[in-house]
Amino acid sequence: MLNELLLRLSEFAPPEFMRQAMLGLLLIAPLAALSGVQVVNSRMSFFSDAIGHSAFAGVAIGLIFSLPIDLSMAGLALAVGLIITYLRRGSRLSTDTVIGIIFSAVVAFGLAIVSRNREASRNVNMFLYGDILTIDDREIAMLAVLLAVFLAFQFFAWNRMLHISVNEQIAVVHRVNVPVYQYLFSALLSLVVILCVRAVGVLLVTAVLIVPAATARNFARNSRQLFFLSLLFSYASCAGGLLISAQRWANVPAGAAIVLLACAMFAVSFAAARLRRK
Amino acid sequence: MTSPAEPSADAIRFEHVGLVLGENSILEDVCAHVPSGKFTAIVGPNGAGKTTLTLAILGQIRHTGRILFPELDGTGRRPRFGFVPQRLVFDRDIPMTVMDYLLSGLQRMPLFLGHSKRHTDRIMRYLEEVECAGLADHAFGALSGGEIQRVLLAQALLQEPDILILDEPTSGVDFKGGQICCELLRRFREKYGFTELMISHDLATVTAHADHVICLNHRVFGEGEPRVALTHQVLSETFGLHLGLPDLHGIPQDVRECPEDCPLRHEHEHLHDHCHVDGAEHSHGCTACGAHSHGKEAGHAE
Repeated sequence: MLNELLLRLSEFAPPEFMRQAMLGLLLIAPLAALSGVQVVNSRMSFFSDAIGHSAFAGVAIGLIFSLPIDLSMAGLALAVGLIITYLRRGSRLSTDTVIGIIFSAVVAFGLAIVSRNREASRNVNMFLYGDILTIDDREIAMLAVLLAVFLAFQFFAWNRMLHISVNEQIAVVHRVNVPVYQYLFSALLSLVVILCVRAVGVLLVTAVLIVPAATARNFARNSRQLFFLSLLFSYASCAGGLLISAQRWANVPAGAAIVLLACAMFAVSFAAARLRRK
Repeated sequence: MTSPAEPSADAIRFEHVGLVLGENSILEDVCAHVPSGKFTAIVGPNGAGKTTLTLAILGQIRHTGRILFPELDGTGRRPRFGFVPQRLVFDRDIPMTVMDYLLSGLQRMPLFLGHSKRHTDRIMRYLEEVECAGLADHAFGALSGGEIQRVLLAQALLQEPDILILDEPTSGVDFKGGQICCELLRRFREKYGFTELMISHDLATVTAHADHVICLNHRVFGEGEPRVALTHQVLSETFGLHLGLPDLHGIPQDVRECPEDCPLRHEHEHLHDHCHVDGAEHSHGCTACGAHSHGKEAGHAE
């Protein structure tokens, strides 16, 4: 198996793989940081978790219809994201309940199908923990395209997303087209999450999004600082985490190292913010 | 009352507006009108459908009947609304200045690239008018309730609204915030010529300041000029008999004068100091001066 061979090789982390992984993370860092800012502002971390967990069902659908796994994952994530947004907007159920129900449905469906297929259940580990070291050119290209679209969205929507996150009703009355922004953001966030799952795994994907943004919040005094600081912390934790994970003494998966580093930064920022307030 | 708009035109006309949510009838055959360029108050107890009616005006909820904007007949456009909510519940930890927030609804260039001078200048003019110019670079989340209400008022005015809608703007804010309902709004209305529609359960404020009042408790029990429309019968039908209502008509004409602490006694430049000194105690500044009728305002209404 080519995959297994790559995994073997990755234990030695040859420079070529490291370069590839670093390139992947350089693309993931801004995607995670900026969507993280809006996830935190709009309290969507549960949403992002649900999208991450839809990876299992995405794999299952890929198996059933013999589609390329990455396409079926992205397609399902997009569908789940848009359905949640639709239900959240139109129903009187609380957002938590809506997401909780869909969350359970996609996970149960994924487990049911995947557990019947031995080949696939071996793949499940890969999605639980992710592996940035095996990222290939095709995935890098997908990340690059997504980053371009995502940055264009941020130029267009950064201000209005902030406006909406403060108070949706005021935004509506003052002629901001709230549904357009919400659907576009949900769609892009779903794709960001599902591509990040590949790198850091289902369990840690939300952390990669929200921890740098939460850290930036502790230092930023205005919207501009929030933007640049979240990028800074995201890049620092991604690059730092990958380098640490490659050290022989560390011997930890890159995803775990990235999130641990990000959380350490958050702890420092939290303490600093506390001290400043005193 | 000097108003640039046609005195006879209505800004809003409700024609048999009805709304049922589940099994609850929220609005029943609501017929009323909101005169253009004036201050209209919708009064009624909690749960009377006041906020629902506001949503209907804003086109955010489905209803039967019609809501017309006769003032704009022939122009083919919907009115521009300014909106100040009851109490802003938001994430106070979002890093943004007051200027960031106000720009976020107006400026096209993303805030991380900077602030455009054109919008910043315009916002500063409005912040000065609501006496918040000094707050532009403050963290929005660190403001007091009254300061937030004034920033939101500036934001609503920045929309250059045809109709300004305020949902209980004075509930739960300090004295300075309570000012919104009185002097500040009257000045702005005269300056900008918009129609002001306030939801309120504060009858005293309404009688003292409003030009027109609509008594709503699922149905309209009466409307018109406050001193005429707010009869005992209308009030007890709207609010229920058990309430001890102030006898609004029993006040002798000759004591229509403000007490020492009434905000309307003070000219604009005094308002500022006055509020800082007395902020905490006068949480219902308008109520205090509206408990009796204000001579000057009553003169306008008549």
